[in-house]
Amino acid sequence: MNELKSTSFFKRHQGRILLVVSVITRATVLSLLCLFAIWTEYLNLKVAYNHPRLVELSSGKMMRLFYEYSDRFFSMFGDPIEVMQTNGGMTWSIRIMGVPFTDPIAALSLVVKNHELPLGFMLGLIIPLGIALVFGRLFCSYICPASLVFFTISRLRRLLKRFFYLPEFNINRGFAWGMLTGGLLIALLYGHGVWTLLLPYFAIGQTIFHGIAFGALSASLGTVVIFAMIDLLLGHQFTCRYICPTGRLLGVIGRKSLVSVNRNASQCLDQCQMCNQICPLQAMPKQDHLMDCSLCGECLTICPTNCLTIGLKRK
Amino acid sequence: MKRRHFITTFLAGAILPALTPLLEKLPNYAKFKKFLRPPGAKKEQAFLKACIGCGQCANVCPNKCISMHGFEDGFENLATPYIVARSKACTLCMACTQVCPTDALAKLDPTEAGMLAVNMGTAYVTEDICYSFHGRTCGACYRACPLQGKAMTIGLFEKPYVHPEFCVGCGLCEQACIHMPQAIRVLPRGFNIVEQSV
Repeated sequence: MNELKSTSFFKRHQGRILLVVSVITRATVLSLLCLFAIWTEYLNLKVAYNHPRLVELSSGKMMRLFYEYSDRFFSMFGDPIEVMQTNGGMTWSIRIMGVPFTDPIAALSLVVKNHELPLGFMLGLIIPLGIALVFGRLFCSYICPASLVFFTISRLRRLLKRFFYLPEFNINRGFAWGMLTGGLLIALLYGHGVWTLLLPYFAIGQTIFHGIAFGALSASLGTVVIFAMIDLLLGHQFTCRYICPTGRLLGVIGRKSLVSVNRNASQCLDQCQMCNQICPLQAMPKQDHLMDCSLCGECLTICPTNCLTIGLKRK
Repeated sequence: MKRRHFITTFLAGAILPALTPLLEKLPNYAKFKKFLRPPGAKKEQAFLKACIGCGQCANVCPNKCISMHGFEDGFENLATPYIVARSKACTLCMACTQVCPTDALAKLDPTEAGMLAVNMGTAYVTEDICYSFHGRTCGACYRACPLQGKAMTIGLFEKPYVHPEFCVGCGLCEQACIHMPQAIRVLPRGFNIVEQSV
């Protein structure tokens, strides 16, 4: 106990802090997707009318405040219209302040279907692949907006488990490779649109974009609902574990990531399997087998002896 | 790995890519439906190959004329951009061509040379219902045209005459037409009404 007290607050509550941070970052990404869709409308107003007239036209105090503040924010970087046009896209190919980010799946799909990869698109791969090499599946618990939905569902599932019997189904992890190759085949035969049905985060982006920019209920909402139901009924974060091709790809790319969970073997209890059971992505901190670790911090919160820490991988 | 598995996978890997040109021969729903694509788009089939549906063109469009396909027009067109000229036409500002990450929209400048390089479609005047062809001077389409004198010229009573070799198909004439239904329409490229009527 004395040893525990001597460690700093951040060391002791690292897991909890990481969980809160992951929820905040994912909510930020989700609200960013909404903002991009709202700003398309705003861009239209902005080009069509000058600023004072725009403020008169925008009905409702909230909308007016939002437009004023976003205008003030963008004018820090230059001409508001030009700055606004450097943002856009969905999680699967997005530009933030002119910096492109590309999904590796989009690049694969484009190579398969179009047989070429434009330079700008290839440069967009650098940051996502770099993150995967250093942090592993960081995308899955800090960036992916769909995983916020699945995180909520898994908490709901944990609550429901107190009252009902909810079985956990396990299938082979290779199923995600099947999703990837099957998706690539359908993309080759029909078109890249198939990924709205297979990738939960792309489906969420489509739903938000259709809903806010066009005022239409998108059918890709159905994809999200189906994945959420699978999660609720079949197992704890079933989609992220077994279905999502992106997660599998990032897991394999980042299997030797620099940052991961370290286990203090001298403090670890022999009979305890809590960390293996709670891990949403089926990594095994107990056996130091961390191929799918997304640094979410769940195992750190449950560990009875606090022997797990997240940091640079030892040896 | 057994030798038999190696040989079968090797043969599959060698033969299947060689069969991909046959995919073009398959019946394709997208071949029969034509849409007005954003400026700078490649030919329809090449465009559908390159467009990954990220929605950046629709995000950046200051005129908000670009919409994204849902499921209503077939699986091939899912999540690709299109324009409905009658409700909102393209102003040829070329913002979308600058942001497209996969070069599905070729990069163009908002100059007259850039505008002339666009090939979205061709305007077609239905003379039976056009006001100007019935002695009532209108000329709304001519005033909306961004390439006046080249793509469109006017005759007596401001009769519009479209020159297909210069018309880029932006659709501003269709948006401006005061007749209901519109007397001038933009036909998406690859849609040849003259050949069909013969």
